[in-house]
Amino acid sequence: MGKVDGITQRQLTVLIFVSLLSPMIRILPTSAVVFAGRAAWLAPLPAFLLGRLLLAAMDAFGKNVPEGAGLADMTELALGGGLGRAFNVLTALWLTFYAGFVCRSAAERLLATVYPNGSPAVFIVVMLLVAVAVGAGSTKALSRTAEVLMPILVGVLAAVLLSALPDVSAERLLPVTLQDGKRVLYGSLPVFNVLAGFVYFLYLGGRVRKKPGARPRRFPWLAGLTAVALGVTFFTLGTIGEHLAVSMENAFFIVIRNIKVFGVVERVEAVVVAVWVVTDFIFVAALLMIVSEIWRTVTGAKKRAAFAAPTGVLAGAAAFFIAEGVFDFQKWSDVLIPAINLSFALVLIPLVCAVGKLRKKY
Amino acid sequence: MKKTLVLTLALTLALTGCSKGLTIFSNYRRIENIELVRAFTADTQGDGVLVSIYGTAGEQNDARMVEKSGPSLGTAMGELLMMPLGREAILSHTENLLIGEDMARQRLNECLDYVERYSETRLDIGLLIVRGSTARDLLKGLSGSDPSAADVIAGLANHIARVGEGAVFTCREVAVSLLENGVALIQCVRGVEEEKLFDARGDLNLEPDGFAVVTEDGQTLEFLTGEETLGCLLLLSRLEAKDLDLAVGDTVATVSVEELKTAWEPVFDGDGALTKIKVRVTAGAKLVSLRGVADVTKKSWREAAERALSETLRAAAQAAVARSQTLGLDFLDLHGITARKHPMKLEAMGRDWSDIFPTLPVEVEVEGALRRTFDIMDSPEIAEKEEMTPWEKLTESLKDN
Repeated sequence: MGKVDGITQRQLTVLIFVSLLSPMIRILPTSAVVFAGRAAWLAPLPAFLLGRLLLAAMDAFGKNVPEGAGLADMTELALGGGLGRAFNVLTALWLTFYAGFVCRSAAERLLATVYPNGSPAVFIVVMLLVAVAVGAGSTKALSRTAEVLMPILVGVLAAVLLSALPDVSAERLLPVTLQDGKRVLYGSLPVFNVLAGFVYFLYLGGRVRKKPGARPRRFPWLAGLTAVALGVTFFTLGTIGEHLAVSMENAFFIVIRNIKVFGVVERVEAVVVAVWVVTDFIFVAALLMIVSEIWRTVTGAKKRAAFAAPTGVLAGAAAFFIAEGVFDFQKWSDVLIPAINLSFALVLIPLVCAVGKLRKKY
Repeated sequence: MKKTLVLTLALTLALTGCSKGLTIFSNYRRIENIELVRAFTADTQGDGVLVSIYGTAGEQNDARMVEKSGPSLGTAMGELLMMPLGREAILSHTENLLIGEDMARQRLNECLDYVERYSETRLDIGLLIVRGSTARDLLKGLSGSDPSAADVIAGLANHIARVGEGAVFTCREVAVSLLENGVALIQCVRGVEEEKLFDARGDLNLEPDGFAVVTEDGQTLEFLTGEETLGCLLLLSRLEAKDLDLAVGDTVATVSVEELKTAWEPVFDGDGALTKIKVRVTAGAKLVSLRGVADVTKKSWREAAERALSETLRAAAQAAVARSQTLGLDFLDLHGITARKHPMKLEAMGRDWSDIFPTLPVEVEVEGALRRTFDIMDSPEIAEKEEMTPWEKLTESLKDN
């Protein structure tokens, strides 16, 4: 079980952080504002707590898993050979579809904001070509890439958010009362939905070199992603208010477009687009890698590289055929994908792990 | 693996992106081929829209104006951006949008929608209504002017704020206010002489003309007077500076109001009903000039000046409140203020704001303070007349204060 292509626990957490930045920036603040209104900027906080609980549960489930075993191996141990393989195949198909959705989503976002006269096909093809090449490679290379990019991404996001500070008005963020509590909880669901995506990365768990006695350090990425969610929601809402934010597909981007730094530098959104593209690319490449890893376990193959290209082709097909226009796509984006994602990340996969634990398979 | 990666990256370089033909410059624009549109106008024309853009670019830094009409703002702008001046017009650095009165009355939402939707435009574009003429005429008259039309318009927007005649709200602010309050304020300008934007010599003859009040449904377009506009600036804390002539005894003092603080306090009674809203405005002013003879160091004179200042500002604030309540349009955002201060109490009242607002007492208290007289403490005439020793002046001053 792949010990040669090993990564550290820290590298895995960085990969999770950079990858999940992609959906986090994509869905926020609109999806949280839909539920929580002007109190949406508080929604990441309950999401953090929920994420922490899920993290603790997954850590408890995987505590005694033998080194070199990933989530796919745990699934086969938990459910037995046949059923376990079937569940792994189902998960692989879902994640392939999800990778296609992320590609299409990234393409649509670029068209809506920067390249209005372009075609999504160009962006989908380029992204998948690069993602397949990287996804077929070593986990170490992808994780190192994420490690190198992370400070840049965080730096850019922090600088951009701070530059937006002069436009933030407390009038658009307040009042928030106790009665908003329920709405905030609902608003935290989309944020938690993204955070729960860390579960997929546990399929790469077999690649992690465990130091004896070392505790998994996944808390920093969770806190980091929550901080990003908080920042994006807070600054967007504080600048354009809940009503305008909820009516815009890319409200955060619209806010960025208005930024002027000391009245000298303006139109810095290209930097944010670069952040999007980088995180999208890392996320898609990671998903292809995860799917390949699952197929490797299911087929019993020694290497997973051969699975990346077919997965990329299937993901591309999903990206092209998922929806004809932006309205059809919105339906997937708003309802179906979050629902399926939550079903897998919050219910099915933890349930399988729990079954394995109950059956004392690890 | 490395070969695959290199090959993939090499292939991506050949992608054309959004440009035509095989090129790696997918989103590349040569500076001499672009027209930076710094300001554009929109007016109604029959059932359609007439738009004009004003840009400056190129090696000669020449500035020109082009216009196009169409059934909608989108179609007119689309055509205009396709064929302007032989260059590619881009709206990424547009600073101001001027619209005619009819456009504001009939198609304001279309303007905001275009700015929000178009991928190049920023939301922070200043929005102005040109009254008594068309916005296109304003731009047309400024074409070829030195400084450029865009500079004149940008300067005008700054000037309006600095002289306290209004404030240029951006498309973002207008859109947010319309969505959150259902009403918004937009700065107006108009020609000085018989509504002509330019005088006989062709020079710009334009003045600020207060705020227009517009509603979300586009059904209302009302215009505020100068006093009401000043009141709005005070209560919205948007006043940058304002020179006022105050009659103080036999003298006329010109003061510049600069430092402003506004504190709101909604008052609820024991039954939880909102009985009134109190607003206290603290305005600091400096003495700019004095007509007549007065000893400005005397407390009695200063107090008289401050009373006159307070009364002038209070009247303006009350005028704004009264107009807002008469129209039934909460453009001062009293609902938002109450909701932020006492969200639970407001919700517990369970009454619709539109029922409460028109008759809600608003108590305005203004405290004007004269804070600076610059280097001249006495009026020159007094300094000449009085021949007191420094010690006498000091004891006199202590007695007075």
